[in-house]
Amino acid sequence: MSDKVQIKNKTLSVKQCDITDTEIDAFVFYARNDLKLGSGFGNAIALRGGPTVRKELENLGPVNVTDAVITTAGGMKAKKIIHAVGPKFQEQDTVKKLKLTILNALKVAESNGVEKIAFPPMGSGFYGVPLDESAKITTETIAEYLKNGSEIKEVVICANDNRELKPLQEQLKKLSN
Amino acid sequence: MFLMNDENKKRSYKAQKVIDRLGKKLNRQMVGSLAACVHCGMCTDSCHYVLANPGDPTYAPAYKADKIRKIFKRHYDWTGSVLPSWVGAKSVFTDEELEELKDTAFGKCTNCRRCTINCPMGVDFATFNRMTRGLLVHVGIMPEGVEYVSKEQWEIGNQMGVLKEQYLETLEWQEEELQGEVNNPKAKIPIDKMNANIVYTINPREIKHDPRSILDAAKIFYAAKENWTMPSEGWDMTNFGLFSGDDDLGGAVAGRVYEKVEELKGKKLVMSECGHGYRSTRCEGPNWAKKDIKFEAESSVITMLNYIKEGKIHVDKSKNDSSYTFHDSCNNARSCGLTEEPRELLNYVVGDFREMYPNRAENFCCTGGGGAMSMSEYRPRRLQSAIVKAKQLEATGTKYVVTSCHNCVDGLNDVIKHYNLDMKVTQLVNLVSNALVI
Repeated sequence: MSDKVQIKNKTLSVKQCDITDTEIDAFVFYARNDLKLGSGFGNAIALRGGPTVRKELENLGPVNVTDAVITTAGGMKAKKIIHAVGPKFQEQDTVKKLKLTILNALKVAESNGVEKIAFPPMGSGFYGVPLDESAKITTETIAEYLKNGSEIKEVVICANDNRELKPLQEQLKKLSN
Repeated sequence: MFLMNDENKKRSYKAQKVIDRLGKKLNRQMVGSLAACVHCGMCTDSCHYVLANPGDPTYAPAYKADKIRKIFKRHYDWTGSVLPSWVGAKSVFTDEELEELKDTAFGKCTNCRRCTINCPMGVDFATFNRMTRGLLVHVGIMPEGVEYVSKEQWEIGNQMGVLKEQYLETLEWQEEELQGEVNNPKAKIPIDKMNANIVYTINPREIKHDPRSILDAAKIFYAAKENWTMPSEGWDMTNFGLFSGDDDLGGAVAGRVYEKVEELKGKKLVMSECGHGYRSTRCEGPNWAKKDIKFEAESSVITMLNYIKEGKIHVDKSKNDSSYTFHDSCNNARSCGLTEEPRELLNYVVGDFREMYPNRAENFCCTGGGGAMSMSEYRPRRLQSAIVKAKQLEATGTKYVVTSCHNCVDGLNDVIKHYNLDMKVTQLVNLVSNALVI
């Protein structure tokens, strides 16, 4: 199993970690259209980041599916949070929308000088994108973006557990072949 | 006219997804339950919602079951496909109809399985009601509370969004309490200890609202000189997938617990007192996670009972000098057969134990089961149906109701408060700890 691939001197890696407790320039939060933080990682952002993030979001939402916006990360280990609104619960054109969401997150990161960014397996888990599909789309879309030339130097995909990690590793293996 | 041509009627995207997924969820058990109902009405009197609402037929299990059964018949049963009105087959077309289905599946049933065990045809309504919930969750139709809690468990790893640092801080605090109570500064709540005999997992409610139960368990392990540990991750033995019908969540949560026990090379997984957690982690989890578990897994009720029987701990029942009844959790009693061990243990640690009637597998739900405690929109209905439980509790004449389920603790507390009963709720771990002779 592969944990890392090099793409034009950039690194794409996967590891098991808590995305909301990672030292990094920015991480992607799979957000709601109204940009309310809600539970799960949103709860972790509210608890670890403090009230700043929520306050910044008040002036940014609501946004459309596939949009991405950036805020600071309050008191968290990361410096910024990219709030990316991906497709949810088997909605129409999920694959297309998911790719676009990832691309928009990367673009927002790059235009804000982010060099090192963390992604979750986009849309999997609660929002119901099948894990294999999520792993494929997340890794391929990021790899393609890095291949086309980017100021982003490192992307890490944070898996919550082994169940999430394995399909991501398999996808990286395919990319490295 | 038996033929009913609804083929050309426009169907919403979500309704079509629900129909498609229903086909993927059908197994022999499910089809048996969907096909076998003869509408004899035996289930009706077994449901606490019906008993509390005798004039409202929409609470009858057979009526509720027909809401999903008619879709099954219309799309997956040949008679229903050919002659739909002959067999009451009817499709679903709109998001509004799915919302109505949500109201039934989540708001009119606690999946307690009392109707299931009273069905002469073996119809397991609770199981396919759970499946129905899962179909709806899959397309994003669910009560707000279900959404909130599911996301916590998917992403943070436990139902109450307890962060790792909060969990560890609470254990550290309880360790200090333990040292004070047993007057030994070396007493420990070990974390991630390798090769322990017992890996002890808990309900996140214990961290958030009831840390005393962790302390009590630690005190019992201390007294038994047990080689035990608590895991730093994979410590939540509850599983909201059981309530939401999301098998993927069920598998992810159970898998995290199993993998941590394996990583620590623990010999036995012990689960604190939680009915749905026990059922999920002990009974359903291996199927959801598609994983064989190679270690023992037991309820802490059995662990505590064995400590007493084997002379590893000594108890003095006179320390618990009130009157006590026992409430069987639906998941423990009806789904896992855990009925005698808690009574045996209770009789070791209290002097005045009085049965509640009916009891064991026929006991009534605390009304907080099936995730009902998280669905605030249905609270008035839940508390209205709780008159059945309130009468049961009152008839015992005891000061305490004991249960082996954290969810039931909250459910019963609500019932007691709503119906002004002069009772308190406690768990076996609290009574055993209190009775300890160290």
